Amino acid sequence: MANILEVKHLSKYFKTPNGQLHAVEDVSFSIEKGVTLGVVGESGCGKSTLGRAILGLNEVTDGQVIFEGKDITCAKGKSRKDVRKEMQIIFQDPFSSLDSRMSVSQLIAEPLKITGLVKGKEAIDRRVSELMDTVGLAGRYKLSYPHELDGGRRQRIGIARALAVEPKFIVCDEPVSALDVSIQAQILNLMDDLKKERGLTYIFITHNLSVVKHISNEIMVMYCGCMVEKCAARELFRRPLHPYTKGLLSAIPVPSLHVEHKRILLEGEITSPINPAPGCRFCSRCAYAQEMCRSSAPEPLEVEPGHFVACHCISEINGI
Amino acid sequence: MNVLEIKDLSIRFHTDTGVVQAVNHIDLNLKQGETLGLVGETGAGKTTTALGVLNLVQSPPGEITSGEIVYKGKDMLKLKKHEMHAIRGGEISMIFQDPMTALNPVLTVGEQITEVISLHQTCSKAEATRHMVDMLEKVRIPAQRADDYPHQFSGGMKQRVVIAMALACHPKLIIADEPTTALDVTIQAQVLDMINQLKKESDTSLLLITHDLGVVAESCERAAIMYAGEIVEMGSVEDIFDHTAHPYTKGLFNSIPSLDKEIERLKPIEGLMPDPTNLPKGCKFHPRCPFALELPVCSQEEPRNFEVTPGHFVKCHRCSNWAETLTMEEKEGEDNG
Repeated sequence: MANILEVKHLSKYFKTPNGQLHAVEDVSFSIEKGVTLGVVGESGCGKSTLGRAILGLNEVTDGQVIFEGKDITCAKGKSRKDVRKEMQIIFQDPFSSLDSRMSVSQLIAEPLKITGLVKGKEAIDRRVSELMDTVGLAGRYKLSYPHELDGGRRQRIGIARALAVEPKFIVCDEPVSALDVSIQAQILNLMDDLKKERGLTYIFITHNLSVVKHISNEIMVMYCGCMVEKCAARELFRRPLHPYTKGLLSAIPVPSLHVEHKRILLEGEITSPINPAPGCRFCSRCAYAQEMCRSSAPEPLEVEPGHFVACHCISEINGI
Repeated sequence: MNVLEIKDLSIRFHTDTGVVQAVNHIDLNLKQGETLGLVGETGAGKTTTALGVLNLVQSPPGEITSGEIVYKGKDMLKLKKHEMHAIRGGEISMIFQDPMTALNPVLTVGEQITEVISLHQTCSKAEATRHMVDMLEKVRIPAQRADDYPHQFSGGMKQRVVIAMALACHPKLIIADEPTTALDVTIQAQVLDMINQLKKESDTSLLLITHDLGVVAESCERAAIMYAGEIVEMGSVEDIFDHTAHPYTKGLFNSIPSLDKEIERLKPIEGLMPDPTNLPKGCKFHPRCPFALELPVCSQEEPRNFEVTPGHFVKCHRCSNWAETLTMEEKEGEDNG
């Protein structure tokens, strides 16, 4: 199948008083239509910045974003507006991403009015009802305000807003992190249904590894702005190859008493992304780090079909 | 021997919109050296219970309306202010959820740890400082960082400072309120590892409040599941994980995406938590319970606590005749399989 999105050597730096913050560093990947790509990593690893850079919400420092064959990296004005109809985002925090002075129906109608996709008061009203139905919001909430609703319902408004313009591609930035598990499961099922019905493509950004395994076809692991591993979801959990991925997966507490636990405890903490030293970003926490790791950054290599790993010592560590 | 016994504890909050029934008649005990997990979703009353134990519920609007909290044979709710001061932070200490706000930003971490020590132990300033350095090293923070301020530490390190403060006076009981929720998973693993190890060394009891059943499986010997201010199920971790009895606990397990099994579709609990100012009649879970339709009693009468096997308590009408329910379920399983 054709790639809906290609990202080539994308970098995003921020200027800070202490130096340049390398939030995303030379990330390349592509997504096929209808596939969900999970992006996992710990706080500060650049996963949200990556999502925002793809949508043009943050200006890109270097690299290209190609959507359906068109380079949209620097799209502005009308061409950016056109792209926005195809690409949408669901934000993490349903408490701060909705205008508290707008009612539910106003919130969902806003994207319809801005894009001019639906015209006329009645038509918009009908479309809002349809969308509320799609995301499982009862019609009686139409005139409610966000503060009257709980987190799960608020996140449903966020989803309805993203769906309003009938996009092909949605960046989901931690859409369930603020929710309790029983509500989280309701939202995950909803997102899954919508994807199947509408053939959507998702980038699903999260720090929750069991959620990402459930929802994704492919998973990309990020560490300190860099992509360290990317492969099919099952493959990643069956046979992680990068030492960081191994440590990350073994750190998840499993809600079962019958799972054998070989914990690889990663010492230390994430290194600062401000003026990073050359070399592999993970080497200060890596048990296998060698001289080479400290001097040059590893490029992602396709060690097996579809399985990319960025590590100098990959063959030593895994015996391949 | 029980270090802590909570009997029939109820806590209410008087607000403009009505009386919030945050904690409703809960019974809980904790043995010497044991780790008990208190599990529940947002608003279940976990933190309020913990604050109640330390008599820290702000009043008004909060009010402890019934119950006793017995620590070492004394009811802590009847203690005088200065007696409570001596226990709090000394024999019973607390680890708060958010290390970013639990520390004082204008004092160095060394000063904050020393403060706890000199408040609860009679020792000279030099001794207190020496003890502070020991504690920092115990949580693997280099001693020269004692003169740094909280903002100079990362989240994981701040939480370790909070742990050092909690352990400084060799407490008999630690209450940890979501100690790792604000942390990343690799840092969570480090912190849990440390809490478990330090707890073992000093034979301390731990009341671990969390919403993560994975953390419970890893660190606890017993667990209590809270829903709408009540403990709906309590037992050993084997009881809770392998012989789950309460429909709410089952719903929780079914909601979590599994890491070791392939599940096509999650089975969430339908509906939402009830409004704590207006709790439903009968069983508090019945509006969301898949079994409530079969039993009219669920919406009428509040279930009592049934002991289905020794030490395994379940607050559910289905458990009034547990043996029968079990065989029924086995049958269902066979029919489905």
